[in-house]
Amino acid sequence: MTAFSQIRGRRAGLPARLAEFGRRSPTIVIGAAILIFMACVAILAPLLAGDPTFINPVDRLQPPSGTYYFGTDHLGRDIFARCVYGARVSLIVGLSVAALAVAGGLAIGLAAGYLRSVDNLVMRLMDGLMAIPAILLAIALVSLNQGGVVIVIVAITIPEIPRVVRLVRSVVLTTREQPYIEAAISGGSRKLKIILRHILPSTIPPLIVQATYVAASAILIEAGLSFLGAGVPPETPTWGNIVASSRLLLARAPWTIFFPGACLALVVLAINLLGDGLRDHLDPRLARRM
Amino acid sequence: MTAYIIRRLLMTIPVMGLVAVFVFLLLHLAPGDPAAIMAGDNASPENIMEIRRKLGLDEPLWRQLLVWLASLASGDLGRSMFWGDPVTTLIAQRAEPTISLAVTTIVFAVTVAVCLGVIAAANVGRAVDRFVMGLAVAGFSVPVFVVGYLLIFLFSIELRWLPVQGYTPLADGILAWLHNLILPTLALGLAYVALIARITRTTMLDVLAEDYIRTANAKGVARAPMLLRHALKNAAVPIVTVIGIGVALLIGGVVITETVFNIPGIGRLVVDAIARRDYPIIQGVIMIFSGIYVLVNLLVDLSYTFLDPRIRY
Amino acid sequence: MKITRRTAIQTSLAASAMLAAPSIVRGQSRPSAARTIRAVMHGDIPTYDPIWTTANMAGYHGGMVYDTLFGIDGNQQPQPQMVGRHGVSDDKLTYTFELRDGLKWHDGSAVTTADIVPSLKRWAARDGGGQHLMERVKDLSAKDEKTFSITLREPYGLVLDVLAKTNMPMCFMMRKKEAETDPMQKIDQVVGSGPFTLNLDETKPGTQYVYDRNPNYVPRAEAASGIAGGKVAKVDRVIMINMPDAQTAVAALQAGEIDFYEVPPTDLLPQLESDRNIKIEVLNGLGNVGQVRLNYLHPPFDNIKARQAMLYIVKQSDVLKATFGDSKYVKQVSSYFGMGTPMENDANIDWFKGGQNLAKARELFKEAGYDGRPIVIMQATNIAVMSNTSLVIAQAMRQAGLNVQVEAMDWSNVVQRRSSKAPPNQGGWNIFITWSGGAAIGNPILLSAHAATGDKAWFGWPSDAKHEDLRNKWALAPTLDARKTVARELQENAWNFVPQLYYGQWVQPAAMRRNLRGVIPVAEIVPWWNAEKV
Repeated sequence: MTAFSQIRGRRAGLPARLAEFGRRSPTIVIGAAILIFMACVAILAPLLAGDPTFINPVDRLQPPSGTYYFGTDHLGRDIFARCVYGARVSLIVGLSVAALAVAGGLAIGLAAGYLRSVDNLVMRLMDGLMAIPAILLAIALVSLNQGGVVIVIVAITIPEIPRVVRLVRSVVLTTREQPYIEAAISGGSRKLKIILRHILPSTIPPLIVQATYVAASAILIEAGLSFLGAGVPPETPTWGNIVASSRLLLARAPWTIFFPGACLALVVLAINLLGDGLRDHLDPRLARRM
Repeated sequence: MTAYIIRRLLMTIPVMGLVAVFVFLLLHLAPGDPAAIMAGDNASPENIMEIRRKLGLDEPLWRQLLVWLASLASGDLGRSMFWGDPVTTLIAQRAEPTISLAVTTIVFAVTVAVCLGVIAAANVGRAVDRFVMGLAVAGFSVPVFVVGYLLIFLFSIELRWLPVQGYTPLADGILAWLHNLILPTLALGLAYVALIARITRTTMLDVLAEDYIRTANAKGVARAPMLLRHALKNAAVPIVTVIGIGVALLIGGVVITETVFNIPGIGRLVVDAIARRDYPIIQGVIMIFSGIYVLVNLLVDLSYTFLDPRIRY
Repeated sequence: MKITRRTAIQTSLAASAMLAAPSIVRGQSRPSAARTIRAVMHGDIPTYDPIWTTANMAGYHGGMVYDTLFGIDGNQQPQPQMVGRHGVSDDKLTYTFELRDGLKWHDGSAVTTADIVPSLKRWAARDGGGQHLMERVKDLSAKDEKTFSITLREPYGLVLDVLAKTNMPMCFMMRKKEAETDPMQKIDQVVGSGPFTLNLDETKPGTQYVYDRNPNYVPRAEAASGIAGGKVAKVDRVIMINMPDAQTAVAALQAGEIDFYEVPPTDLLPQLESDRNIKIEVLNGLGNVGQVRLNYLHPPFDNIKARQAMLYIVKQSDVLKATFGDSKYVKQVSSYFGMGTPMENDANIDWFKGGQNLAKARELFKEAGYDGRPIVIMQATNIAVMSNTSLVIAQAMRQAGLNVQVEAMDWSNVVQRRSSKAPPNQGGWNIFITWSGGAAIGNPILLSAHAATGDKAWFGWPSDAKHEDLRNKWALAPTLDARKTVARELQENAWNFVPQLYYGQWVQPAAMRRNLRGVIPVAEIVPWWNAEKV
């Protein structure tokens, strides 16, 4: 069965192979397609839209039209342009936070879960860090440095790391007790090798789910920070702060919330589809069952 | 086990100490001047300097830190710079709404989410699974405050079923209390339903793929009791971890939800205090939240041994 | 030691609350909804001492609890309030006042001149107008328990106006005990003689402040007008609620959960206007005047040409539209004293008639030797008017070829950073946005932002000797017409050296349930006596 599909895959052209992949993992393809589309929009923003910061109070709160595809906000700014440019910041925030949090959390979590000597110390430090409410920590950090994308990323990442650590550690604790690990230990394998060869792989599936959640929640936390007035500076459009700065207009000018909100939901959805799909694809036990 | 609990409790002291120093430095190194806010917009620069002196804000930072740590050690969180009330009093005044909202949200989220997660896992790949997971995705794709406003518009303005805002103390009757908490609980709980349902489903699928479940299946054990007895119990460890994490997320969500629904809770207290730089309140609330968090996670760690005998301390 | 003191203060606060509200025993009996007004005001009360702070909400609190010697009436004229008979000597130097009968503190003791004299002194130490008055006072003393006098060195036309004013800090009377507190320290007990008492048991600082009718208050016989006349409390309880989210407040008002919302955003007014149960009323006809403060200490605004150029850059119609839309509640401002104030005039307003002129601005900046260095605007992102205005002005400045750096921060950061005299690239600033009440803008003495005393002036530190001479001349002018003449000269000069400029004037309509009647229109504060639910 496996051999047959490999042979078929080698013989078929690229489109056919993609079609086969798409048939087997539709969620990955859909999720990836949306994300790639959004990434293209972000990269090509200057070609697609005008100046997202241009203020034109005469045209404030215009509904969507041929001139303003997504309408205008309370300052007469073009919401289409703001959404297009907002893709940049929102995607960068989401991806950077996920990458940083998973990388940091994985390293610390593996160490804490496997090395009993550092477990207590590291976990208590993580408890301390995690114990500080994330949104309060972020507000404090952002006001300390007066906004800016980098500081928002840092502020969202720091409280995410301990969450990843705890998840990795709980998986390690469970995995460590498995017979094959005990066999490897009694077989004289070195600790590092055990961690990399045997434990690391078992952390991947839950981490992918967690990473998708972190990326999606980072984009949403950024919106929450904007809501509380501590997000990316309002001159720079992000989906989060477009929604947040329009929150009074929910009834009066719903397009000011609908379009950035839809972009936000679409990307979060895409990230989650991708994560779910990857999980199903990567987890051999589940694949076998299906 | 008892020794472990005592050791863990003792270890919370340095953890809280770390939190205290970290929070103090974070706040006091951040710009913003409570003296200028207190004095009002029309006050002269000399007046503001004088107020800074009276508040002790012109003292060296290390001295302010030591003074604070010393009073903290004696259980004194200080007084609000603005109203002069003790921070403990202010927090106590606001505790009931926040605790109420947290409890209703956790109960709502865990109940609904675990059910949805199990249903989805049992029907993996089918329409029910897709529908539940679709709902879960939608649940945490929309910011809490947008959900909140949508609920207000629908249920309070249009249908007039539920109050827009505010909080009724539990002492005024459990129905009145719930009446005011329904919308905030829905708004805040949605994201946790989504989160916990997803994790429940994922871990349930892992467990369902284990050999002993497959064996049970093959032996023809009835499906529903099997799911509950075997699978859910074994999937409990990651789920409990996520619920423990959820408490921290909940605290963050409470901050926003209390603002949207104007609930006079601790979240509102601290958001207003941050905007004003009322340092003793911010520090006090963060210390209390941190303390709660540390305790909850101690409980979560202890529950591992209970839920999965293979884990021991 | 620490605990003892804290306990002592708690006890005394509780004791004063008990004395203050003998009918309300520990909140066991609550007045009915029909006799309770629930009002959402524009902000939170930062501290209970309305002398110590200039924050408006503290004045709202003060207006409930404390009484004033005089009060401005609906026609902006000072009228006696706590004072009964009063007179001035023929040489206009000695003012004699006699307290009216029936004045009692909330603790039951009688109000005497032993309370009044230190109250006046403490207030004058903190208030700009009070300081201006005190510089001319030779003697302030009690004659007997009910009579006191103020003796001046030179005639001063504003004595009664200053005592009666509604802008912060108002001249509230306190007990001797609190009045003798160091003016730089906050008082620790709230005991006034006003028509309401603060109910500390029901009050939750930061969310709601509960005021109960003072049954022992003896109002004047005259009808209420402004903050003058009889302060008759017609409800048993007023709750001032702090609700920072506008959407929530509007929804709560529509649902009847609150009776009054002081500051509905303009964009939400249509939603309220279409509701049969809601009415919109303008309580402060003069409204607010938006100020653009320029930093005199650093380039480019140390140069008069650059400051003048700003007059040609700021397009008020754009700025106002950004926040207020097509509101009927806004005006463009050409007079240095705001529009609709007694001192409004049309001296030296060619810049206004010509409208925005970026070419002219560009030229003036060139003459000022502008070298392209970044101009730092502090944008207070948590206050909509300030946030929007900063962005609109920044865009116009960029169109005029300036290098503008908008620094986003919250208002707390702005109020700290604006006190920095350092260069903009070392923690200082060039521009920040704020606003003041129209009545204050219309008075060159009462508003500290009008001073041009250099280092001692308000943030921005404008400096102009002629402006200062004219302000003094204005204060000493004997009649309204004479003041108007000086005001023209002041404006002529001000629009030349540009101590600050304005981005517009707006009145803030309040929204209330239709059954709420009798809310008195006053500038700067919202008084709750006379109001009732029918």
